[in-house]
Amino acid sequence: MVSNIKSKYAANELNLNKAKFKHNIIALAIWSTALLTVSLPLMMLWTIGVEGFPQLSLQFLLTEPTHAGRSGGILPMLISTLWILCICLVTVVPIGLGCALYLSECVTADSTIGRIVGLSLDVLSGVPSIVFGLFGYAVFAIQLGLGFSILSGGLSLACMVLPLFIRTTEQALRACPTAYRRAAEALDLSLFAFVARILLPSAASNIAIAFIISTGRALAETAVLIFTAGYVTRIPSHWSDSGRALSVHIYDLSMNVPGGQPNAAATAVVLMLLIIVINLVAHRLSKRWQLLE
Amino acid sequence: MYKVQSMRIFRSIAALVFSIIAVTLSGCEQQTFDKLTLTGSSTLAPLVMELGQAFEKRNPGTRIDVQTGGSSRGIADTRAGLASIGMVSRSLKSSENDLFSHTIAFDGITPIINKANPIKALNDQQIIAIYTGKIKNWQAVGGPDQAITVVNKAEGRSTLELFLKHFQLDNRDITADVIIGDNQQGIKTIAGNPWAIGYVSIGSAEYEERRGSPIKLLGIGGVKASTTAVKQGNYPLSRSLNLVTLGTPQGLTQSFIEFTQSPQAAAIVEQHYFIPIDAN
Repeated sequence: MVSNIKSKYAANELNLNKAKFKHNIIALAIWSTALLTVSLPLMMLWTIGVEGFPQLSLQFLLTEPTHAGRSGGILPMLISTLWILCICLVTVVPIGLGCALYLSECVTADSTIGRIVGLSLDVLSGVPSIVFGLFGYAVFAIQLGLGFSILSGGLSLACMVLPLFIRTTEQALRACPTAYRRAAEALDLSLFAFVARILLPSAASNIAIAFIISTGRALAETAVLIFTAGYVTRIPSHWSDSGRALSVHIYDLSMNVPGGQPNAAATAVVLMLLIIVINLVAHRLSKRWQLLE
Repeated sequence: MYKVQSMRIFRSIAALVFSIIAVTLSGCEQQTFDKLTLTGSSTLAPLVMELGQAFEKRNPGTRIDVQTGGSSRGIADTRAGLASIGMVSRSLKSSENDLFSHTIAFDGITPIINKANPIKALNDQQIIAIYTGKIKNWQAVGGPDQAITVVNKAEGRSTLELFLKHFQLDNRDITADVIIGDNQQGIKTIAGNPWAIGYVSIGSAEYEERRGSPIKLLGIGGVKASTTAVKQGNYPLSRSLNLVTLGTPQGLTQSFIEFTQSPQAAAIVEQHYFIPIDAN
């Protein structure tokens, strides 16, 4: 009898130990995956930073490249990138906002039109970026006669960023509390008045985040731009000029130019810092706006 | 509260819009330039871009815009009129007789392996056997017992076409483990894999070897791979780097091509590890 109880205790303890052991293993596994995720961007920064930081200086940011980019700076690429980004966002924001408003206010998600638009957006956002590049080259550069230009590049980039912007904006708009909608209806507000006075202001902070996410995505793009905005390393003076984006510059230096690696790394550091700054700004703004609410 | 917040947001959006309009308008006072667009070979693009900058300095009021994308694109864009000049890093084929070709430099191609690989040389038969998958281990050519990683170029690259033509191979016969696009990518692949073999431009390989990349240049048919050998004309696997035009070049197109073939351009050509045409 006594031995029976004892063995039961022992068995229980063993089970408990087993459970503890299992728990520890799982905890360790989860911790290590988390650690891996954190260390990945740090490792990336480290590898390009070691090679890139020694080249980095104010001079590097403010001069034009020489010797096919092996020496000199990246000023024209910085300016071209900002131009392309401007054209991209000026195109994306009105079209994207309009489409997101239509999706969230005029149709329900399970209606036929809602489903068709949703499906095409999902397909578009899954398309590899080189396809947008070839599309932009065929349509904007050749058929519409824009040639290799900032305008072709910005518009092709807009095609790629549009689905992302619409989807995130749509989510922002759908997050508007039902109570607001009911109140608006009870007050017999017109749809326009509701959208302009209540919906857009209340969703503004989240729309701003959608805007910044799209900016980050556009900044990082290479494949779309190499055949549309082009390869020219001159400060663009007009939107019909060709201009090389930072990402294209990195690609070309590391792939085509013997000895271009150090400057490619330095340019990559600049691009990474730009993206980190934009993300931080987005984070701060969204926090501040949440506090205001 | 919403009012304050939305005021802020709309004010910042308005500021953004105005600044964009300001930037755009400031760009509108466009000066008229004599503009020339070139597209094509990614091997040639960095060289021609620098030649273009030198040309612009000598001829104020001109603009040389260089685009990239591969020799095939250079030919397509020149035919379509999107570019006045195409850059092609091989001789024109008989199907491309509608274009005029102007050689601006030469380049040789060399098989490369990792420095850790003890192999000293391979003959043509061995290279063919490796690339067609008949030899899969370095042991078969006198090396250690290690599987061979075959690195091949992507379709549409002139280095690939030249390589296939020299060894009389068809791309479908080649069993490649890695497909690469550019020379630099090829060198990086070989430098990172002790048992890989690939082929790249001699100029960039020589430069990277001097810079300390762990690669070894094998040469072809007993001829050592070096820019000097290509210059002397006795290196079998070499190519010409050409500018192509639709019809005889005129005006700006003509003066730019003449500049790229001039002795002033030769120094820039050499800086890019190619061989100038008048070096022989």
